[in-house]
Amino acid sequence: MTINLEQDWKDIVHRCFRCGYCKFTREFADFNCPSYKKHRFETYSTGGRMWIIYGLISGEIPWSQSVVNVIYACSTCGNCTENCRFEKFNEFLVDIIEAARAEAVLKGFCPEKQKALIERIENETMFNPYGEPNSNNELLKKEYNLPDEAEWVYFIGCTSNYRQTNLRDATLRFLKKVNIDFTLIDEHCCCSPVIRTGQVNSVTDFISYNLTQIKNTGAKKIITSCAGCYRTLKKDWLKFGVDYDLQIYHTVELVKDLLDQGRIKFNSEYNKTVTYHDPCHLGRHMNLYEIPREVYKKVPGIKLMEMKRNRENAWCCGAGGGVKIGFPEWSVEISKERLDEAKLTGATVISSVCPFCRTNLSDANKKFNMNFEVMDLIEIFDNLEFEVSNK
Amino acid sequence: MNEEEILIKLQNIVGKEFVSNRSEDLYIYSQDPGASLPRQVDFVVIPGKSGEVQEIVKLANQEKIPIVPMGGGLTLSGLIIPVKGGIVLDMKRMNNIIEVNKFSQYALIEAGVTTGQLLSYLNENYPNLQPPIPDAPPSATVAGNMLIHGSGYLSQRYGGHGAMINGLEVVLANGDICKFGSCAVSDYWFDRGPIPDFIGLFTSAFGTMGIVTKLSIQLFPKPKEREIIFGLMSDPKDLPELLLKITATGYAEDILLGMQDKPEWMKGYVFIMTYITGDSEEDIDLQSKVIKRIYRKSNARFMKAPEKMRNLYLDKPIFAAGAADFRKGGGFEYVGAFMPLEKIPEAYEKGAELARKYGISPTLGSRLIGGVHTVVMFFSYSFNRADSEDMENARRALHETNQLVLELGGIPWKAELEGQKLILGKMDPNYIKLMKKIHIALDPNGIMNPGNWEVD
Repeated sequence: MTINLEQDWKDIVHRCFRCGYCKFTREFADFNCPSYKKHRFETYSTGGRMWIIYGLISGEIPWSQSVVNVIYACSTCGNCTENCRFEKFNEFLVDIIEAARAEAVLKGFCPEKQKALIERIENETMFNPYGEPNSNNELLKKEYNLPDEAEWVYFIGCTSNYRQTNLRDATLRFLKKVNIDFTLIDEHCCCSPVIRTGQVNSVTDFISYNLTQIKNTGAKKIITSCAGCYRTLKKDWLKFGVDYDLQIYHTVELVKDLLDQGRIKFNSEYNKTVTYHDPCHLGRHMNLYEIPREVYKKVPGIKLMEMKRNRENAWCCGAGGGVKIGFPEWSVEISKERLDEAKLTGATVISSVCPFCRTNLSDANKKFNMNFEVMDLIEIFDNLEFEVSNK
Repeated sequence: MNEEEILIKLQNIVGKEFVSNRSEDLYIYSQDPGASLPRQVDFVVIPGKSGEVQEIVKLANQEKIPIVPMGGGLTLSGLIIPVKGGIVLDMKRMNNIIEVNKFSQYALIEAGVTTGQLLSYLNENYPNLQPPIPDAPPSATVAGNMLIHGSGYLSQRYGGHGAMINGLEVVLANGDICKFGSCAVSDYWFDRGPIPDFIGLFTSAFGTMGIVTKLSIQLFPKPKEREIIFGLMSDPKDLPELLLKITATGYAEDILLGMQDKPEWMKGYVFIMTYITGDSEEDIDLQSKVIKRIYRKSNARFMKAPEKMRNLYLDKPIFAAGAADFRKGGGFEYVGAFMPLEKIPEAYEKGAELARKYGISPTLGSRLIGGVHTVVMFFSYSFNRADSEDMENARRALHETNQLVLELGGIPWKAELEGQKLILGKMDPNYIKLMKKIHIALDPNGIMNPGNWEVD
């Protein structure tokens, strides 16, 4: 549900008591809100942000670029929704922040850096937030000998298609190897970056376009290896009033099903110590915590180590919510904290199931010489030898 | 110095990123979650160490700028909102747990350590020790709670939290950093004395005497077993006798009482929770039988609580925030009052009448401090923060409750400005005179949270 602030703020926003639970880990050991931990002014906790939004909407404080900066200095990781004690309020905290951003955009206060997202996505030669020429994926279809019509569509997502192509290619090889009947579409951005940053004007057009492309393939199942796309397709598209008859999967769900069915027989081992980073968009936003762990544990040779903050308690990678583009230095600082935590596990590989997390963790890994291998789960599978049966 | 010059000076002390006079930060720090009206703030500063606090205080003293220390900001009575503008000093960046002494059982911490942080640290590193926990969210700072004469879990058995302070490091208005308690003489922060004890100067002073930067607090052994014996009593007049009997057993770690019209099952009853502890299930069984027998013989009855409720109350910190959402309006304040035991029945009766008079569903509670030596009463009023009339109604109810408390022989706790005035109105004139002399001696320029405890 997208909260319409003009309609609902009186009923919702002022309910925040600013008790401060939103800042913490579940056991209160540390601050787990990246924004508060960085800035340390109450203003930058979710509680502070709720009060700021209330102040703006009620007219107690005027709109300004400075105040809007507070609303944007949040990775919308959802730690607050996990820890706020007020039921039927906590679940809307991220929605309220995104709705306030939409309000800021309407009033002409969208920060310049984040504006680039919508400008690139709406550019008819791009349709992606990276400013790359649009790939209609025809070359990939040819390369992988994919049909025009299929049971599944692999929704690649912009980060995998334009930045983490290794992850994309590993996914394509995996889907081929396990004999999934799938194809690709000339996809445009799923709109996650613009929804997260409140630039929602053309979202429904993008959704309609993508759905039409999917419909043309006859597919009823969508699979993506991007946690952000997964959340957006499965949750946000519905919020924007779209009605679709599609099943949305993350690749990790497919891998788990195949493993559970005994269709994958490993012929090699991955003899490394791995720690799993929960992407916010898959974990706190979609409540999907155990499936990835079950998959890692079934890979022969893997020693899976948990970081201290995991599952609902996970520390964000710092990329989401427009933070990567809006606050690039801070964004990698957040990732560095995750890598520091990963170091304590003794792992040499930090792995996740989100190309955006992969990007930011890799950036921090490089910048701070942390010497990790940053690998997506599907890339680990790409390094393994396994046989697939059709039972 | 003009505002810009002061800003630069402050930035030079703590770093640019930890000083603000941006309107959005001033807006947030100009109010708290209680019913107080917003008041002006000029700067928010977040120091990282005692030396920085010292430099800020020296600057404030030189420029005669009011300075208000803030912990979790959860007193609800506006004590961290400046009365005369100036600097709010958000202490939460000073959050080092410096030492835990497992023999003398104390923790030496910086003033910004939260109760949640300390609890978590002890659970992980010293699982046999427990800290006192206030009836507040985990973001409340330990120092804030101790220094407002707080109470909470462990108060029945071990006394008020303010009495659990072993020692303080305080930055005085002239910039001196002064140690109080055994740490003034020894490397060990294990006791308040035996030297003249000035620690009391800084409790319930609301920052008017100095800014506490470090403190040592008592820790306590954690029992192996803990259980809650729930009870219900229909007539509050029987409470004093009941409580005398329970405390006489020596079994109770904590005793909490509640009386409210909602949910429906609580209406017309006083709800009793007696926390008992022991080394074994046998200990708990034995004590449980004794407490239940006392309930029966004192016109109360044992209540078998659902597992969910039991777990909720055993998970202590979670208990605190729920009350604030009673009316889904984001506003909550209560008159906490230190009361003599014999006045509790009357406090419940008149408190409920008063709440109804203001159209507020009665929500009253209390907990015992140090046996029956003090009972802290809670007269709670939740309100809709988005409704100015509702907030004003709550303020009127709070004010009349303060008056009621004083009439009954009690004293409002962590009282807001109006409550402080009522207390001062009843205070021994020579006490006021002495307080004023001490205050002038320590803070001749009146920079320390001025407006609080202020007498002409």
